[in-house]
Amino acid sequence: MVRAVKYVVLIAILAIMVFPLAWMFRVSLIPPSGGLAIGDFFSPVFTLAIYTDIFTSGNMLKYFINSVIVGVIVTGGNILFCFMVGYALSRYRFVGRSFWFYSIIFVLMIPAHIIIIPLYLLVYHLGLYDTYGALILPFLVNPIGVFLVKQYIDSLPTAVEEAARIDGAGELRILFRIVMPLCRPALAVLAIQVFLTNWNSFLFPFILTSSEAVRTLPVGLALYQGHQAIDWPHLMAGSSLAVIPVLVLFLFFQRHIISGITSGAIKQ
Amino acid sequence: MTTRKLTGLLFASPWIVSFLVFWLFPLLYSLVLGFTDYRLMSSSYHWVGFDNFIALFSDATFMSSLVHTFVFVLGTIPVTTVVALALALLVERQFPGRTLFRSGFFMPSITSMIVIALVFTNLYSRGGYIYLLAEMLGISPPENGFLLSNSTALLSIMAMDIWMSVGYYMLLFLAGLKSIPKELYEAAEVAGAGSWRKFRSITLPLLKPVALFILVINTIKSFQVFVEIFVMTKGKYGTSTAVFFIYETGLNKFEFGYASAAAYVLFLIIAIFSLAQFRLFRQRSIW
Amino acid sequence: MKHILFLSIIALALLLSCSGGEQTVNGKATLEMWQFWTDPAIRPTIEQMVADFESQNPDIKVNLTDLTWANGHEKIVMAFSSNTAPDIVELGSDWVPEFSTAGKLADITADVLPDTAQFYGWTPGIHDNTIYAMPWILGTRVLYVNKTLMKRAGYEDNFVPLNWPQLKEMCYKIDSLGKDIYGFGSNAAEKHRLYKKFLPFFWANRARIMSRDRSFSTIASDRGYAALLYYKDLCDSTGMVDTQRRLEDAFLDGKIGAVISGDWLLKRIHNEQIEIDLATSLIPGPQYPGPSFVGGEYLAISEQCQHKAAALKFVRFITNTENQLRFCRANFSANPSSKTAADDSFFVETPHFQTFVKQLGLSRMPVIDEHWVYVEDIIETALEKALYQGAPPAQSLYEAKLEIEKLYKE
Repeated sequence: MVRAVKYVVLIAILAIMVFPLAWMFRVSLIPPSGGLAIGDFFSPVFTLAIYTDIFTSGNMLKYFINSVIVGVIVTGGNILFCFMVGYALSRYRFVGRSFWFYSIIFVLMIPAHIIIIPLYLLVYHLGLYDTYGALILPFLVNPIGVFLVKQYIDSLPTAVEEAARIDGAGELRILFRIVMPLCRPALAVLAIQVFLTNWNSFLFPFILTSSEAVRTLPVGLALYQGHQAIDWPHLMAGSSLAVIPVLVLFLFFQRHIISGITSGAIKQ
Repeated sequence: MTTRKLTGLLFASPWIVSFLVFWLFPLLYSLVLGFTDYRLMSSSYHWVGFDNFIALFSDATFMSSLVHTFVFVLGTIPVTTVVALALALLVERQFPGRTLFRSGFFMPSITSMIVIALVFTNLYSRGGYIYLLAEMLGISPPENGFLLSNSTALLSIMAMDIWMSVGYYMLLFLAGLKSIPKELYEAAEVAGAGSWRKFRSITLPLLKPVALFILVINTIKSFQVFVEIFVMTKGKYGTSTAVFFIYETGLNKFEFGYASAAAYVLFLIIAIFSLAQFRLFRQRSIW
Repeated sequence: MKHILFLSIIALALLLSCSGGEQTVNGKATLEMWQFWTDPAIRPTIEQMVADFESQNPDIKVNLTDLTWANGHEKIVMAFSSNTAPDIVELGSDWVPEFSTAGKLADITADVLPDTAQFYGWTPGIHDNTIYAMPWILGTRVLYVNKTLMKRAGYEDNFVPLNWPQLKEMCYKIDSLGKDIYGFGSNAAEKHRLYKKFLPFFWANRARIMSRDRSFSTIASDRGYAALLYYKDLCDSTGMVDTQRRLEDAFLDGKIGAVISGDWLLKRIHNEQIEIDLATSLIPGPQYPGPSFVGGEYLAISEQCQHKAAALKFVRFITNTENQLRFCRANFSANPSSKTAADDSFFVETPHFQTFVKQLGLSRMPVIDEHWVYVEDIIETALEKALYQGAPPAQSLYEAKLEIEKLYKE
């Protein structure tokens, strides 16, 4: 009985969570020439024409690939760098440690629209404007990621590291061979967080690049918002497709979160 | 010890370099501008000391945008946190279809905010599905749609924000729940504790670190809510928030010095809230 | 193994930071142009024009960059304020003064002066008796009437409301056709839209926002007040309040009798093959049809441009008769800035385009100068207060007047 109730609740919540997205997908099935009220979810008319159109006309595929390239590099870089920095802030005492920790949080607290103009100037004068570099380099160390890793490592006992140090292991070895595997859940969440933020990021790519060669998906999709009308079928189709890589990543990484902490971690 | 310090510095260098190269200049630049009367497009500007900050406090538009921002933050964060925890508890243990539900709950977090905002603009409008649902449930929606009414516009955007965020925070809570050793629950059972007791004495305290992380991140993000407002209402019907004010003042009206000052006022507010959260939870470690 | 993998990712990142979209010049003048026409239906036309220009001018190359309508303005602002602007940029009519008054645009007076008589819409591009921007595609607003509803309300097939009393009566009659049927499409508090629907009525009553020498504001004059009262009454008693887009949806769906809109609605009807018995007319004034609002797209050259002569050549090329006609055909635009283009039979053959052409002759623009951003805000607030927040119209207008005057005194 309780199980049945649980399932009813779960399904109800799932319906609420999923309906707007189902609507979004439904709109992408409208014939490209329109002629159908976009709001009409239950209409029997649908066609996949828009999906072939999206890939043949325009540059959606290129934007998609750009987003993937940038996303993978930024995520990979973040996994490495956030881990290193988080570990350093957690385990080592060095000059300015507090300052660097707070700088991470403070960077998050300034609205993007204020930062973007000086950042744009900087990127321009560094010769990075309108290049992959502008999309990647400033974002290789995500503050939230560092924060996350640092706090996670804070809670890990130092016993294993100390033992390894006594055994004569080098710092690098300890870092990558011993601590990193222990951080898998945190790094999994980090990967999802960073990829997701980067994948849907609009403002920075829009301002820091111009040409189609380096345009990312969100900017490409924004072009479907016209002057007096929104090209709903194309925009919804593009957005539906954009969901797929993140979903794949989520399904892949959530195993690591499920599997949880390795048996070594103990909380007293 | 010096080699350790050096190693520490070395490991932290990615952030140090990144910060010094990309973020220090923008932060200082905007801070300094907050003390000037700089207008975009102009070639000259003057130091005005704290004039901008003083003017902000008698600026009715800014003040009301702060009020709307506070309503937004205080209205969404507790709800998001509680619902996210509830969802995490629901899908924590293994049961048939668990992955399906987990993915489904997470899906709203995946799509771009801009697209979601456009979708909901349609759903909230006259004849849209949320509008129709409200009519069906007997709640009579505002005649012109939820977003074109002072009483419901901000609340509607808040509801959408909660819908969008819970999946992601549910994920974080799941990770946190997983990190609680089973042995503790087993020991409690042996000692005769019931479900609620276990929840209150084991789950909640050990979730504090994750909860704090979620609160801090959610607070920082929510105080800076912008995209939804920009896409859905452009600040009309009582939805102008602090960052929307900053955007309009700085990029539309070109009063960039003034807008920078407003940004730093917001920064201070966020910093105070975050620090308060740290104190409240009295936690040194999170997770 | 893992660190090698990660290190190679970083190396790749640094390598890729060198690629991207840069253009090298081999003896050619390369022009950067930022424009907004990214719709797959119209972009090929722009590209074709560029190709034609380049083949006629082998020593000039033009690179197009797409801007989004939602955020393009910010990008342009950032570029100009940091002196990294493109050579040629498409600007909306209300943006031009932001840049011309700051000295960011090149002076094109000498080149265009002989031809000014052949184009409409110069005013926003003029500052201090100097011309800084070329009008390209304009857009005015007219009254759309759903004839099916109109006839159901008892009117003859060829009826057209010519003045305020007739418009009000028609809207009343249509509104009483049913609970779900409205007489007039009334814009909600939507940024950059609401005031464009009110100003035609305001101007038709011979009211003005500013005095001629701009020393005081006449927005709260008796005539302005009367116009607001009329508009408010029309909206309150027969109006469906919603965003422009949804008003148009409802209008096309046969739910609204009359709506004010631009030529994009004709484009939509044409593209989506919507069946509707449509009449378009000039916007009614108190006694006879009056002025409407007009806005448009302008082309400007950056003051920092290294190849001003080449840029100017391209601007003149795009705005010549033939290319404007090409554009209007592809984009279903009814108001080219070129008078010679507007004479083409395309604007006579296409249904309802003549309404737009005639309306353009009567239309006005508000005073667009460096204060416009604030003035627009003030007018919008006054309208919102009077229409939707229950403030007395006289008071809203009076407050607006004081605000505007304060602005110009600074």
